[in-house]
Amino acid sequence: MIKLQDIEKVYQSDNGTIHALRGVNLSVKQGEIFGIIGTSGAGKSTLVRCINMLESPTKGIVTVDGQELTSLNEQELREQRKKIGMIFQHFNLLSSRTVYQNIAFPLELAKRSKEEINKEVLHLLELVGLSDKKDQYPAQLSGGQKQRVGIARALANHPKVLLCDEATSALDPQTTKSILELLKDINRKFQLTIVLITHEMQVIKEICNQVAVIEGGKIIEQGKVIDIFTQPQSNTTKEFISSIINHNLPDFFKEITLASEPSADSNLILRLSFIGHSTEEPVISSMIRRFAIDASILYGNIDHIQTIPFGTLIVELSGEQASLQQALSYLKTRELGIEVIGYVARNARAVG
Amino acid sequence: MSQEMLVLLAKSLWETTYMVAVSSFISALLGIPLGIILVTTNKGHILENTPLNRILGAIVNATRSTPFIILMVAIIPVTRLLVGTSIGTNAAIVPLSIAAIPFVARIVESALKEVDYGVIEAAQAMGASPREIITKVLIPESLPAIVLGLTLTIISLIGYSAMAGAIGGGGLGDLAIRYGYQRFRADIMLITVVILIAQVQIVQSTGDYISNRLNKK
Repeated sequence: MIKLQDIEKVYQSDNGTIHALRGVNLSVKQGEIFGIIGTSGAGKSTLVRCINMLESPTKGIVTVDGQELTSLNEQELREQRKKIGMIFQHFNLLSSRTVYQNIAFPLELAKRSKEEINKEVLHLLELVGLSDKKDQYPAQLSGGQKQRVGIARALANHPKVLLCDEATSALDPQTTKSILELLKDINRKFQLTIVLITHEMQVIKEICNQVAVIEGGKIIEQGKVIDIFTQPQSNTTKEFISSIINHNLPDFFKEITLASEPSADSNLILRLSFIGHSTEEPVISSMIRRFAIDASILYGNIDHIQTIPFGTLIVELSGEQASLQQALSYLKTRELGIEVIGYVARNARAVG
Repeated sequence: MSQEMLVLLAKSLWETTYMVAVSSFISALLGIPLGIILVTTNKGHILENTPLNRILGAIVNATRSTPFIILMVAIIPVTRLLVGTSIGTNAAIVPLSIAAIPFVARIVESALKEVDYGVIEAAQAMGASPREIITKVLIPESLPAIVLGLTLTIISLIGYSAMAGAIGGGGLGDLAIRYGYQRFRADIMLITVVILIAQVQIVQSTGDYISNRLNKK
């Protein structure tokens, strides 16, 4: 549905040239919710604006719904833009127009008749749950309601693609959730392709299928959300994920010395990560039953990425060294992620 | 006060109102588009055109820095060309308008600059053309500020019109000078000042009221 090829964007400013995008390649399939995450200044705003050519790339090709946008003139581009909806962090509603008139605005631009506009707007108001607010002005609405108007306005011309520029960043967590629910709903109902940029991993986790991590104008990591969450590669990605899922060791590990090799009376500390149905398997208890070892859980966390459960456990295993190694090999045969954190002298800390 | 004086007063009031109304209308008619061009040709705006922007900016500044009384005399040839004479109320309208056009342009410029660029971007994203952005976004969004600016322009013109007496333009200011000052008629002086104050008050209150009604923020 959307294809970006070798996108480069260079700005000339008073303090020299700024290379905002350095060769970005992306492809978004029909019906996907594609998230782009990055810190401020990473180039994500520029990137999303390249999709509807609010920013024209210095180099590269943008294709949306089979139409190459980078080769169009102003007039043709305006026609194509009517098929791409966009919502914004600060909503960007017209303060001089009522809710109804704001939603009618793109329809007026598309030269639709009064009757058509009326029918469409009433329908959209119902979709976003604001039928009772139709004659109010944006100043009288809450942030969440304003974004709902923004969404209705973006959907008015039945776009194929919806671009979301930090659409929930100005909202509180409760409202963010309801807006994301609405987006998910729209995605399902209309098979609408959604591209959203954000700096909040929570948003990605909540609704995206695919995610790309952008840093310094480049996509540094890209893939299915579940894969990126369970096996992050770059440090930036790890940092984003750690904001909602703790991948770091709990602080008390800093105070004990960990050895990388086993010794006669040391305990083994492991990090286990579970994805999907392996979370339902009683791995720990069956391991304890099979081998002469004890296990104590030092840290645990189970979360859901949309409907897929995903969890991390840090366990300390104690017992004969031989049994520990057997248990480790047993765990490696199961469907889970294993990371040996290290060995710790048995009496270094009280086993809780 | 004699019957004669009252007639004179009424005539002067009408002259002032007429001069101010016509020159306000002309300056709005030309100043508003000029202000729009000044904003939209700015760097990074929808019709970016730096040379045009610089030239218009310079002309506007030049006109605004010329004192009105000098402008009025300096453009007498232009006035004669436009209205056939350089004396009288109609002749006064020419310099009044020329002085007010750049004033209106700057006021409209600052009003339009207050419109959040995000809103313009949103309109662009919906496929609006520059013309649609101007007529459907920029002007409606800044209308309360434009109305206040025009109110200010009318009030300034009431003040400037007093100087129109210098070229026989008539009006209340002229009356105050000729009768109130030069013929020591304190009563005429007082009454014209009171009328001028009342006029300014009425214009300001009306402008405030309209602007408030339009403001939905």
